[in-house]
Amino acid sequence: MFVEFFYKLREAGIPATPTAFLTLQKALSKGLITSLEDFYTASRAILVKSERHFDLFDQLFAHYFEGAEMPDTESLELDEMARALLDEWLKNPKAIAEAFGVDEKSLEKYSPEELLEYFKKRLEEQTERHDGGNRWIGTGGTSPVGHSGYHPEGMRVGGESQNKSAVKVANERRYKDYSRSGPLTHSSMGEALKRLRNLVPSGPKDQVNVEESIYQTMKNAGEIEIVFDRRLKDRLKVILMIDNGGWSMDPYVPVVQTLFNYAKSQFKDLKTYFFHNTVYDRVWEDPSRYKKPFRVADFARKDPETRLVMVGDASMAPYELMAQDGSIYATERSGLPSIERLRFLANTFPHNVWLNPVPERMWPYTRTITMINQIFPMFELSIDGLEGAVTQLMAA
Amino acid sequence: MSKNGDIQEFTGASRYVLDQELARIVNISMSLEMPLLLKGEPGTGKTMLAHAIAESLHMPLIVLNVKSNMKLVEALYQYDTLTRLNDSRFGDSSRDVSRIEDYIKMGKIGQAFVAESRTVLLIDEIDKADTDFQDDMLDVLDQMEFDIIEVDKTIRAKHRPVIVITSNAKKDLSDPFLGRCNFHHIAFPDPKMMKKIVSVHFPDLDDEIMDNAIATFYKLREIDVVEKKPATRELINWIRALQMDPDFKPKQLTKGDIPYLGVLFKKSQDYVNAGNYISRRKLF
Repeated sequence: MFVEFFYKLREAGIPATPTAFLTLQKALSKGLITSLEDFYTASRAILVKSERHFDLFDQLFAHYFEGAEMPDTESLELDEMARALLDEWLKNPKAIAEAFGVDEKSLEKYSPEELLEYFKKRLEEQTERHDGGNRWIGTGGTSPVGHSGYHPEGMRVGGESQNKSAVKVANERRYKDYSRSGPLTHSSMGEALKRLRNLVPSGPKDQVNVEESIYQTMKNAGEIEIVFDRRLKDRLKVILMIDNGGWSMDPYVPVVQTLFNYAKSQFKDLKTYFFHNTVYDRVWEDPSRYKKPFRVADFARKDPETRLVMVGDASMAPYELMAQDGSIYATERSGLPSIERLRFLANTFPHNVWLNPVPERMWPYTRTITMINQIFPMFELSIDGLEGAVTQLMAA
Repeated sequence: MSKNGDIQEFTGASRYVLDQELARIVNISMSLEMPLLLKGEPGTGKTMLAHAIAESLHMPLIVLNVKSNMKLVEALYQYDTLTRLNDSRFGDSSRDVSRIEDYIKMGKIGQAFVAESRTVLLIDEIDKADTDFQDDMLDVLDQMEFDIIEVDKTIRAKHRPVIVITSNAKKDLSDPFLGRCNFHHIAFPDPKMMKKIVSVHFPDLDDEIMDNAIATFYKLREIDVVEKKPATRELINWIRALQMDPDFKPKQLTKGDIPYLGVLFKKSQDYVNAGNYISRRKLF
């Protein structure tokens, strides 16, 4: 019968349906299942409909039938977080030490195992998310780790930004289970590409219009006249603007570029420009942002039907966006605040979206994201977000 | 697995390496008369499984390759209006223009239903079609019948086909769809399993080529800047290419000299990226 097992599965969050359970009963009553092994494969094939739940099912099965300990997911999570911290520590001891508000030296005397324990303890103390504080990892605060709220050029003197470690550690762990809505990675590339393929409304004249053919044939006194239809519209031009200026964008730039390059063949024209944090007088055609500048004002001459895709975390100090000389580069002093430039772009290309790798639920914590969101429809840089963005771009 | 007299049991085929777990799932799905939904990376043998079932149970295989703009009715039957229009105009065919039935052609699902013996119906890459198609199709497969509207006739399945459905999508299919299938996810074979698979295809392959090729293959799969990772099919073709080349020495591979990359990477971008990656690795 295994009713209890069924409910255990549901409690654990596996969406097994009663119908599926009845199917399992049918299999049992038919005598198809004669051993525990049979039961394992049969119940999994019948009850669990997604590989994402396989692991959970395995744990539960072992627990129910073999009396194995149910792994405590909470502490497992902590364990992995601590381990990630340890990895970071090995790479960049100073940032981690600062994150905990302790001296680098005092942590150095620990062995790796001890460090692990220490991190775990500290993580347990910190049981909830923390935003805007000054002690712990979170967003928008003044803690040395965390993201946004910095002058982007201030902290860094070459090399990797130190912020990255904390956000990486804190975010990676917590969104682990949301892989579908989580940021785009190379592994989800194929899936993302499929979404992007919807961006193509073109086609040859290859559809037989049956109604019209019959009508024309009749009109022609029975002489056959076949009418073909073209699928409407021409191929699209796409402008891709990527913020490649910050640590936070680094992992996503290659992904986004590869993605659009693969989709290139279906566009009439794909142009990629780069900017840092936000757009001022110029954007650049080269990723290093100094060889080939392109004046933003010149975009007015481009086809307004072009689809504009902005990619960036939209996180910066508010004055970079609002002030007349907000640019972090001294050479860019045109007197127009960046937000005006963004408005100009959005007006020039009415079909526009902004893709943001920052998870959507974090957006309200960063003021500049909220402001830019009012200019560009913003979507998360994830498979679901991409789907929404494509719909937005294709809307008439 | 109990032997229920008349139930045929699937135990593998000549060119297919079957793991026990999958065999059990196939057999259970067959006796429960439920479609089996297979997910997994390309190259894990989802499509091959259907071929193997058909071969070992001596049933004809009917393959429905799902396309993105496919309508359900195309999979069931097709009413060829153009031919009829043509016939009515020129009247030089043996068909009877006044009989619509002469112009109805069975689609793949229809063929499986009207077949004289039990068939294996493979519905390949269901994720390409939209959700409506998927749900409607399962209705048909559930009831084992559909109507031909033009001639007002119901086609009922003579024998319930063994249905295998494959999907590459990472995204889940709709709930009603999942509710009607059994599900299995085929993981990408590990090197040990891969060795078995390769030896099924090349029974007398030199051990050195085998080990080096498989090791290199798994290393190449780790490159993450490619869109389409090489799968089993590519590996087998690649080994075939290596075998054909009289100048090829298995030692080359360990030194990072990898010939015939084009067999493994088929998108030009991937090919370039992989080439770059390998030459960069050689420098170290």
